[in-house]
Amino acid sequence: MEEPIVITGAGIVSAIGLGKAATLTSLLGGRTGVGPVKYLRTAHTEFPVGEVKLSDDEMKSMLGIDREPTTRAALMGMLALREALDEADLLYNTECGRRALLSGITVGGMDKSEQHYLDYIENDTANEYILTHDCGATTEMMADRFSGFGMVTSISTACSSAANAIIMGAELIKSGRTDIAVAGGTECITKFHLNGFNSLMILSREQCRPFDRRRAGLNLGEGAAFLVLETASSARRRGVRALAALCGYGNACDAFHQTASSEDGEGSFLAMRKALASAGLEPADIGYVNAHGTGTPNNDLSESRALRRVFGAAMPPVSSTKGLTGHTTSASGAVEATICLLALRHGFLPANYGWREPMEEGVRPVVTVTPAQLRHVMCNSFGFGGNDSCLILSENV
Amino acid sequence: MEQHRNVYIKSATQISLQEPLSERWLESPVWPKDRYVRSQNPDFRSWLSPLESRRMGNLMRRALATSLSALAAATIEMPGAIVTGTGLGAIENTEIFLDQLCREGEECRRPTHFMQSTHNTVGSLVAIHTKCHAYNTTYSHKSVSFDSALLDAFLQLRRGITSTALVMGNDELTPSYFNILTKAGYVGLPGQVPAAEASVAMVLAAEDPQEALCRIDDVGLAYGALRIDALPSEFDAVMVGYNGALANDTAYDRLLAALPTKRPVLHYKHLFGECYSASALGLYASAHVLAQGVAPAMLRRDDGDGALEVRRLLFLNHSGAKNFSWVLMSRPENKEL
Repeated sequence: MEEPIVITGAGIVSAIGLGKAATLTSLLGGRTGVGPVKYLRTAHTEFPVGEVKLSDDEMKSMLGIDREPTTRAALMGMLALREALDEADLLYNTECGRRALLSGITVGGMDKSEQHYLDYIENDTANEYILTHDCGATTEMMADRFSGFGMVTSISTACSSAANAIIMGAELIKSGRTDIAVAGGTECITKFHLNGFNSLMILSREQCRPFDRRRAGLNLGEGAAFLVLETASSARRRGVRALAALCGYGNACDAFHQTASSEDGEGSFLAMRKALASAGLEPADIGYVNAHGTGTPNNDLSESRALRRVFGAAMPPVSSTKGLTGHTTSASGAVEATICLLALRHGFLPANYGWREPMEEGVRPVVTVTPAQLRHVMCNSFGFGGNDSCLILSENV
Repeated sequence: MEQHRNVYIKSATQISLQEPLSERWLESPVWPKDRYVRSQNPDFRSWLSPLESRRMGNLMRRALATSLSALAAATIEMPGAIVTGTGLGAIENTEIFLDQLCREGEECRRPTHFMQSTHNTVGSLVAIHTKCHAYNTTYSHKSVSFDSALLDAFLQLRRGITSTALVMGNDELTPSYFNILTKAGYVGLPGQVPAAEASVAMVLAAEDPQEALCRIDDVGLAYGALRIDALPSEFDAVMVGYNGALANDTAYDRLLAALPTKRPVLHYKHLFGECYSASALGLYASAHVLAQGVAPAMLRRDDGDGALEVRRLLFLNHSGAKNFSWVLMSRPENKEL
């Protein structure tokens, strides 16, 4: 019997707030962070977005960063990491076991590359951002901000990146490679993927409406979230509180298309089934599913079918919180796992903001925040390439 | 607790500046001279229709050819996991999309280049091609991208979560990105090995030494510093990534100086060049050296000359003298010299 992996810290920043307290207030009050674009300089003002309501300079000043070249993803990541590490008593205490940082990220430093790319290729001297493009650069900026990480790497599976980082974190602990894994992800909105998603015609010009009959696409969001994972005995030894357990997870590949989900949601079905099996749970044990629910016609239908295949007629309450946060892409697995953590700890079902009418074959989501005693919650994250992952969080026992 | 299932490399294939999908470089290598050398592409028609081939960039075509060849060589149709490492991902498609965005603004453009720009494009492509629904993930962390993927697969095999895994390392380098990385001081320095490209696929299997190239005894990643004196010390050679750049080579000098016992040193980047997935080629070369039990003289970096008998090898890699990886590997029990 493997020792349970527990969560002893969590940090989050997204369109609905900086930190868990602000996030909880927005979730309970149904306050969306999706609105007209403000911080990204783009011609596409027709698309609502879920931006973190802080400029790079504001985040730098909050973090006490002066001038060094930093990506927006790194700044958001540092804010989320600071909260997570502090809660787990790791911020100033660097001498309590081996710790790893696993960060999910895809566009990486593209926010700077799209401002400076022509300078990179045409100018003779090196632009100060020239080495901040790749995924690893952002992760190392974050790692170097907080001392004590003895293992650092980046996971890049598009919109399931953070979920896969959390899975890798748990695996590193189970195999004895680290005592503590700080895992999650960060992603900022860039013109690059705003235009890319637009070229795929999957952006909504209105507030997104996951699982709604008239859903017309997704709203891009941004943010960062990290969980501190360790064994229950490590948490006891360190005298820190276990907030919840990460009791299961699954990763499967849809193996269907680079950017579309299969009709029957095979990849997401398999990911959920694997997660249940690894947690030793039955579908009926799940009290809430935080769906991937992007608001695109394709995802929501495919995910609904996969959910029916897993849960049958006994569908647990389901909602997508992307109407509040926007789709935080690479960070979404950790952003939504943190939302699940809040739901578990504060006993409520988050609402599926923006839903009005049932869709054919679709799940009928929770539309108002509802008090609920939750024991086990499921969190879905699906990415381009059919990289589908599922996490199960449980109340701490 | 870590169980100890033995993990073997059943097959390992490459497309690089050396002859593609071949181990002929062990006898008659290409000696690269330019600052920037692209990979030699094989004839892709064995794996792809001309139409499919045209739709894909080099990175995808090479990944498919190496992975399908590695699966065939290991006589495995469907791996139990597909784990990919890439430093820059589909940089050619990324640059096309980015360049248009920067020069022409934000008019709606065709999605093809964007769709094939994410780092997991390769892992997904191979899954689609093999109809493989198994565990599938991608690591993108500078020069330890492949090493991270290898660690993931190794731990899963070791713990019995899967019994086979396809592990890949893929990086392509466009002329414009070569210029960017030259300005950044990563490649193109005087005396440095050429900037290059790498596509490597290997099939790993647990508890299956039959016709394996080698056994992987351990894999590790270390950030900040590598305590080399804390690693297992039973090996008879060290394989490192000297590339002719001072900062890179000094980091290896320091590691080697800290070894409790001096061992013969082997290197590979003078034959394969430098890129974010170079370590995948280094591990590929190490596996084939162990399979034949002898490292040819051209791989020797130390004072010794002539071929070197090798049964157990420590592979060392670093990214910016900051992120380190190591792999301990040995000749399988059934292969006696």
